[in-house]
Amino acid sequence: MKASGDHDGTTVSAGGRAARNNRLLGVGGATMAVTMIALTYAAAPFYSAFCRATGYEGTPQRVTANTDAAGHRVLRVGFDANVAPGLDWSFEPESESVRLRTGKTVTVFFRARNLTDKPAVAHATFNVSPEVSGEYFDKISCFCFTEQHLGPHESAEWPVVFFLDPSLETDESMAKVDSITLSYTLFAPPSEKPAPARSADRAGPAG
Amino acid sequence: MASVTDLSHHDVEAHHEHHLPTGWRRFLYSTNHKDIGTLYLVFAICAGLIGTVLSIIIRAELLEPGMHVFPLISAIMSGDGSLDAAKNMYNVFFSSHAIIMIFFMVMPAMMGGFGNWMVPLLIGAPDMAFPRLNNLSFWLLVASFILLMCSLFAEGSPGMRGFGGGWVLYPPMSSTVGTPGPAADFVILSMHLAGASSIIGSINFIATIFNMRAPGMTMFRMPLFPWSVLVTAFLLLLALPVLAGALTMLLTDRNFHTTFFEPAGGGDPILFQHLFWFFAHPEVYILIIPGFGMVSQVVATFSKKPIFGYVGMVYAMLAIAFLGFAVWAHHMFTTGMSLNAQRYFVFATMVIAVPTGVKVFSWLATMWGGSISLRPPMLWAIGFVFVFTVGGVTGVVLANAAIDRYLHDTYYVVAHFHYVMSLGAVFSIFAGFYYWFPKMTGYLYDERLAKWHFWVSFVGINLAFFPQHFLGFQGMPRRVVDYTEAYAFWNMVSSIGAFIGGAGTLIFVYLLYDAFKAKRLAGDNPWGPGATTLEWTLPSPPPFHTWETPPHIFGDEDAHAPAIAGQRSPA
Repeated sequence: MKASGDHDGTTVSAGGRAARNNRLLGVGGATMAVTMIALTYAAAPFYSAFCRATGYEGTPQRVTANTDAAGHRVLRVGFDANVAPGLDWSFEPESESVRLRTGKTVTVFFRARNLTDKPAVAHATFNVSPEVSGEYFDKISCFCFTEQHLGPHESAEWPVVFFLDPSLETDESMAKVDSITLSYTLFAPPSEKPAPARSADRAGPAG
Repeated sequence: MASVTDLSHHDVEAHHEHHLPTGWRRFLYSTNHKDIGTLYLVFAICAGLIGTVLSIIIRAELLEPGMHVFPLISAIMSGDGSLDAAKNMYNVFFSSHAIIMIFFMVMPAMMGGFGNWMVPLLIGAPDMAFPRLNNLSFWLLVASFILLMCSLFAEGSPGMRGFGGGWVLYPPMSSTVGTPGPAADFVILSMHLAGASSIIGSINFIATIFNMRAPGMTMFRMPLFPWSVLVTAFLLLLALPVLAGALTMLLTDRNFHTTFFEPAGGGDPILFQHLFWFFAHPEVYILIIPGFGMVSQVVATFSKKPIFGYVGMVYAMLAIAFLGFAVWAHHMFTTGMSLNAQRYFVFATMVIAVPTGVKVFSWLATMWGGSISLRPPMLWAIGFVFVFTVGGVTGVVLANAAIDRYLHDTYYVVAHFHYVMSLGAVFSIFAGFYYWFPKMTGYLYDERLAKWHFWVSFVGINLAFFPQHFLGFQGMPRRVVDYTEAYAFWNMVSSIGAFIGGAGTLIFVYLLYDAFKAKRLAGDNPWGPGATTLEWTLPSPPPFHTWETPPHIFGDEDAHAPAIAGQRSPA
């Protein structure tokens, strides 16, 4: 048996070096834990940047102009408009769908109307499904990039300008996709919704 | 207090009898690894019994189509006999069942209980590196459990009590949309405390194992159980903070208007799933890897052979732990990932079958040609190898994204994870329990009863969970309180199996009573020549302080084989 210096026949923790090593390992472990918490928080902005960059989860791409590369496939693009509880607006697409050749830019309109007697602000979230098509759905301009204001009983027509990237024709995930749905949901800003009351009407009994 | 007085006397030879704290002080203020281990085990047994009762009630409800049991319980417990209250209570029951079994039964039993008790004994350390943190770990867990119990009585969904969103806590079910009441906040805070408890515990294990091994006990001469605890401690240290972070985000979303998972503010509920499973997939390995360690030692002991492929076993655990962090999205195949992402996660998941296979083959090879004695710990260990392999095989099936599309959230998944957890992890806990019970208490249990416990549990639980594969293939979704006639037959079989399994648990409770009443003395080593690890050289039960003088570890320090207590050359 080789006895090392800090095992001198008494307790291990009595040895000064062992205690120091314990503290070192303890601090190292705690640092690892804190780092992981920090990385978890860093995951939130990273994840949204990742979605924007890759189209993951059906996040459409935001581009400044069409590349004008003409494609061959013709896909149906459907539109879907929703209003989240807590916002008393009406919201609908002007046309239910369009048929669109890849590479061709199109402008569609959504109609919104504030049904209340008060001015209000709303923000639209959006995505496309199937989610793999997010990478090829390029928006040049959209009302969803900014907050929208509507006065009492005011209505508006909001444009969306987009095209489908012809490179989707080479992606096997897109081979069987003939129809893409662009969906919007209008939300009141989070701080303005009366949370408990709203949830009480919405959440039915579980099960 | 005990530690302060004891530490100053450590230089003197160990005659602490007159210092031993007694009564409630001994346990409330305990800094002794054995007492804390005992506390953890008692806690785990109590929580396990509660979790078992919940599961039996769930299976009683699912015995037949229609709703029979929960309307009655709901009427008695909350005074609300409506069908909606009963459905809510069902959701609360299965959510609580999962949380209790994972965080308050398996984890405390394996890491807190056997880890605390046996790691210092097995590596020749006098105690854990941070005895007072060890005390904190345990009592945080108790506080955590109390918070979970509070959630049962707090409002969750409007007009309903308790949190019914499953252990996965997905928003929007767990956000103010699905559960506006404080029940979800109680669950979140409970998980925070349980997480803090485990993180502190794992730092303690890492420091202990790295720094407090007896001279000559090199890393590659440690038995496999301390190895498994070390690997698990790293998993905990890396995975649990992710849960803590995600739950904190959920908590601030619920109460302080942040929008991490709230689409209205640009957040994304799917992000929660990613964070949750980045924690929860390693978590399932946290639940099973200490079991690997225990089973390895039990199989070696009762085959009277050293474990086959010791170094391979260590690396297999490391590989499983490492890969466990890289496969989380296989729980999310139906969330609309691209084909390439699915391909990666399918492949990475299947790779895990390789180190797992190494372990199963090593256990079989250890038994092969060994002088096997089928005493209760060995029965449970062999049972573990069988059910874990069944669960592992269905895991490989589920790893296929294409098949998962069909089986996702069906009873097939329920059967799969109960085979690895409810049978695998629990069988390994019982293997460890029956292995070390004589050492921990100094008493022998009635081996006949222990065998009955095994066979009744084995038949019951297999009967309960095997038919659930069929139900899953038939398309029965999980987490439902009622089902159509088409699923009636196998549900009936499954429930009967669960009742038989419950009877097995009663045998276990009686066995404990009998062992403490009969007081059959165990002696230092009741298992004979196969038991070669250090703890068997100590008296049973071991004295309050052990290895104050480090044990002599003989043999070649560079050998890659577990040290054999008292033997001068490695086998």
